[in-house]
Amino acid sequence: MAIALLLALILITLASACLFVVHPWWFPAGVSAQAAAMDHGFKVALWLLGTLFIAGQITLAFFVVRSRRRAKAAYYQGNWRFEAAWTLTIAALFFWFNVSGEKLWSRMMIHHGAPGAVQVEVTGAQFQWYFRYPGADGVFGRTNAQKFAHPEEGNPLGLDPADPAGRDDIVSAALVLPANRDIELILHAQDVIHSLFIPAMRFKQDAVPGMSIHAQIRPVQPGNYEIACAELCGTGHYRMRAAVRVVSEEQFAAWQKARAANE
Amino acid sequence: MPITSEHVELERKPKLGGGGPGKTPHRRGYGGGDDGDPDRFRDFHSRKERLRRLRVGVVLCIVSVGTLFVCLTLAYVFRRQMGPWDPLTKGYVRDWISVRLPYVQLWINTAVLLLSSITLELARRRMTRQVEFAELGIQPIRFGRDFPWLGLTVLLGFGFLAGQLIVWNQFRLQGVFQHANPGSSFFFILTGMHALHLVGGLLALLYAAAGSVVRIRFESQMLAVEATGWYWHFMAGLWMYIFALLYFVR
Amino acid sequence: MRQISPTSPEPRASRFLRRYLFSADHKVIGVQYFFLSLAAALAGAVLSLLMRIHLVWPHMAIPLLGEIKPENYLGFLTVHGTLMVFFVLSTVPQNGFGTYFLPLQLGASEMAFPGLNMVGFWTVLVSFLVLMTALFVPGGASIAGWTQYAPLSAIAAAGPGQGTGTDLWLISIGLFCVGTVLSAINFITTTVRRRAPGMDWMRMPLPCWAWFVTAILSLLAFSILLAALVMLMLDRHAGTNFFVPAGLVVSGRAVEHSGGSPLLWQHLFWFFGHPEVYIAILPAMGITSHLLSVFSRKPVFGYKAMVTATLAIGALGFMVWGHHMFVSGMNPYAGFAFSTLTTAIAVPSAIKVFNWLGTIYGGRIRFSTPMLFSIGFVSLFITGGLTGPLLAQPALDAYLHDTYFVVAHFHLIMAMAGLFAVFAATHFWFPKMFGRMMNERLGALHFWITLAGAYAIFMPMHLLGIAGHPRRYSELTGVQYVAAMAPLQKFITVAVIVTVAGQLVFLVNLFWSMLKGPRAGANPWDCSTLEWTLASPAPVAGFAGRLPVVNRGPYEYSVPGAEVDFLPQDAPATHGS
Repeated sequence: MAIALLLALILITLASACLFVVHPWWFPAGVSAQAAAMDHGFKVALWLLGTLFIAGQITLAFFVVRSRRRAKAAYYQGNWRFEAAWTLTIAALFFWFNVSGEKLWSRMMIHHGAPGAVQVEVTGAQFQWYFRYPGADGVFGRTNAQKFAHPEEGNPLGLDPADPAGRDDIVSAALVLPANRDIELILHAQDVIHSLFIPAMRFKQDAVPGMSIHAQIRPVQPGNYEIACAELCGTGHYRMRAAVRVVSEEQFAAWQKARAANE
Repeated sequence: MPITSEHVELERKPKLGGGGPGKTPHRRGYGGGDDGDPDRFRDFHSRKERLRRLRVGVVLCIVSVGTLFVCLTLAYVFRRQMGPWDPLTKGYVRDWISVRLPYVQLWINTAVLLLSSITLELARRRMTRQVEFAELGIQPIRFGRDFPWLGLTVLLGFGFLAGQLIVWNQFRLQGVFQHANPGSSFFFILTGMHALHLVGGLLALLYAAAGSVVRIRFESQMLAVEATGWYWHFMAGLWMYIFALLYFVR
Repeated sequence: MRQISPTSPEPRASRFLRRYLFSADHKVIGVQYFFLSLAAALAGAVLSLLMRIHLVWPHMAIPLLGEIKPENYLGFLTVHGTLMVFFVLSTVPQNGFGTYFLPLQLGASEMAFPGLNMVGFWTVLVSFLVLMTALFVPGGASIAGWTQYAPLSAIAAAGPGQGTGTDLWLISIGLFCVGTVLSAINFITTTVRRRAPGMDWMRMPLPCWAWFVTAILSLLAFSILLAALVMLMLDRHAGTNFFVPAGLVVSGRAVEHSGGSPLLWQHLFWFFGHPEVYIAILPAMGITSHLLSVFSRKPVFGYKAMVTATLAIGALGFMVWGHHMFVSGMNPYAGFAFSTLTTAIAVPSAIKVFNWLGTIYGGRIRFSTPMLFSIGFVSLFITGGLTGPLLAQPALDAYLHDTYFVVAHFHLIMAMAGLFAVFAATHFWFPKMFGRMMNERLGALHFWITLAGAYAIFMPMHLLGIAGHPRRYSELTGVQYVAAMAPLQKFITVAVIVTVAGQLVFLVNLFWSMLKGPRAGANPWDCSTLEWTLASPAPVAGFAGRLPVVNRGPYEYSVPGAEVDFLPQDAPATHGS
């Protein structure tokens, strides 16, 4: 039985290691400025934890096998030196790991509002994402969903018709962004909690009703990416998707002009 | 089976080991078994032991109820200070509307509850004395001999609840509970949960009071009153705390 | 309880009811909890099977159910999570085995409040029944998951199952909170006041420490959940505004509430929810420590460190709830504090793993079924536990939150490791509970199937999360990059089907052994703790009339110079040892 356990644990360890090394499914290519740092963070984490995993399973297997031919067990209550050494080692290791994680977090979250960032208001509703741009005047119009929202009439966000700043707002079902510029996302939700998740940009932020949450990203690679909703919001949660189109600066300007002309 | 000694390693420094390998005689008053005398053990069914057990149980009950109200307090304080976040002003929206409390009625209720605490304490002491006298053989227990302090406590308890109902009704008629006022929601849940837990205590007292009529064991009746005593005093203290909270943190 | 004399002419039905159903005997109540959890586990497993099948074969018509719709899937998801977290993992390790064996291991004749014990069980039973009816009411069960985030849970119009289904869920869990708090009061009072003479705190077996700390956690955590549930119920029906903000539009209609905060629900829920997962795992850890020692014939390595680690995990467990909320819109500065505290919890957990390995090292291992499952527990705990520090980093959690990576993490450490400890405890204590031995061959077979299954199901699931597959998706056809992961989901589903089928081996073993298993002696495992000094099955009277006197610690195995390789805790003190 000991040999069987040894083989099983070795098999599990090897199979898991192979799975993570070969990784037939893995992170999508990172296309935002924060992706590189995050991916590096993941790499460090997976290597550290993977090593501990392998060491732990192999040690377990080895200790199990070692007991096979014993006549009598050792009456051994413990060894405080080993205990203390292990505790300090693991504490130091995890503390270092934590500090590097915190540094990454502060870089991601503590930002001081880049001037000139493109502002996009993101609204989640059951089960659709809407993206609003302030238009030529750079000001978002007032919205009051309870009074004015009529998705079937083309006003899903409830733009106040009396507010002139709202007349040039562009409401889009796709998130169109210029590459290599800071984007400021302002997240709202109309009914329940949703979550904007763009795996390719390593971005996730909950959209909470009653709150206006600011987040920043900076796409660096043009292309088409997908948004998935990452907070259970009802029966349509699985199909609450949207497209992200990262285009060049000129294409972005052209798109805005074309949309403004249409409205 | 032969025991070979090749792997004998006696750990004589049980600093981090040692589930206590047989230290007799063990330390006095450690709390566990017999407090120093290995040959005698506690009678788990004695009145004294039953009482101590009940007291531990009541303390735990109080801890649980206390946690509930700590939780509600924190929610209340945080909600009052921090409404929805307004990114334009980079601050929390202060949408709190103070609830105007009907002080007269609330002070009357408070007085009633405090009075009931006093009468319960009187009832408890009398009952304990009766049981002790009976144990010493001085005087047998006679039901219904004493002033019905217990009955009075129950009445006062109901009186407090009636007073709370009056306050809630007043608020309902004024429309305080409707319309977008978080303060009123918290008022209702704080006072409501207190009243609900008070009802629990009342039921225990009713059980004890009914004992005079239904003839359960007097000792059990006394224990019920003992246990409820601490709980009831806690409820009175909790009410004072809630009243103070609703007044000072408006 | 009313005393009946053995010769009283009471009708047989009434005797049966009093002895087996409405008994205040902690042993009967322990068995009752055990079967309740078994029923809940079976129901939860069936629901998970339905969920997995629907996910990869969405148009398959299940017999008796037809085709599963998204709202069914989410209803199953909610009930599956609720059953497993509350009625299995918070019930059987603590209330099931604890109710039966805490008094026995402490040398007590009864729990502190036997009547309260019974009331607690019946409350939990009613709670279970109420939850199950939610599956059958119009609208079905709640679709908001076991976490019931507001406003989804607060607004009945937000989805099917959010009306009656959610109300029933709230009532059910409210009752569960009450029952568990009553139980916790009982456990703590028993441990404090009903230990046998000589049973010092540091002579208690480790499961008793685990049950004690878990009871303290339960007492505090479930009180908070009850507060949150009452507030949600009031929001739904009494027009209060704790969790629902102003300005919402659901299904085209304006919502009347205003002034509430959805984040308040999350704070309250997770302030309960994180201690809850420690409530689920601490008894399992205590039982594993115990079994590793018994079957290695060695004392527990570092008993004092184990106790300290248990207390530390319990205390720290209350300070880390924010790690479920890094991307929730919570103040990002709070993320720093929660992240540090969460990583700190890894240290006592690592101490425990080190000590388990130290207990096995140098032991003379008996590979009985309980030992196999305990070794499996250590393996799964290492695996599931190591992904914890990763998720504790907010920057990394920002990507992995609400993906299948988290699902893999908590299933490995809570469901699989916790369940392994339950299986180990079942095999170990079966002789004491039912007087017979379970079959070792079937036990070993069950172990191998479940171990292989656990890794086959949940190891690849990490990759799904890393690739960005969000959780709680009822279909894979909505988002394109998710649809691309269908082959891996199919593999996982097949593994689930095989593993769940393999649990039949356990059921057969359990029920067959109960009826026809070989009769067990008083101490078939040569264990030193007090419950094994009683006959098997444990007699109704327990220790009554002859309380044991404890003279040594609980893990005196292979003591040098002793004739037998274990010293029972109540054996007379000799040799001045």
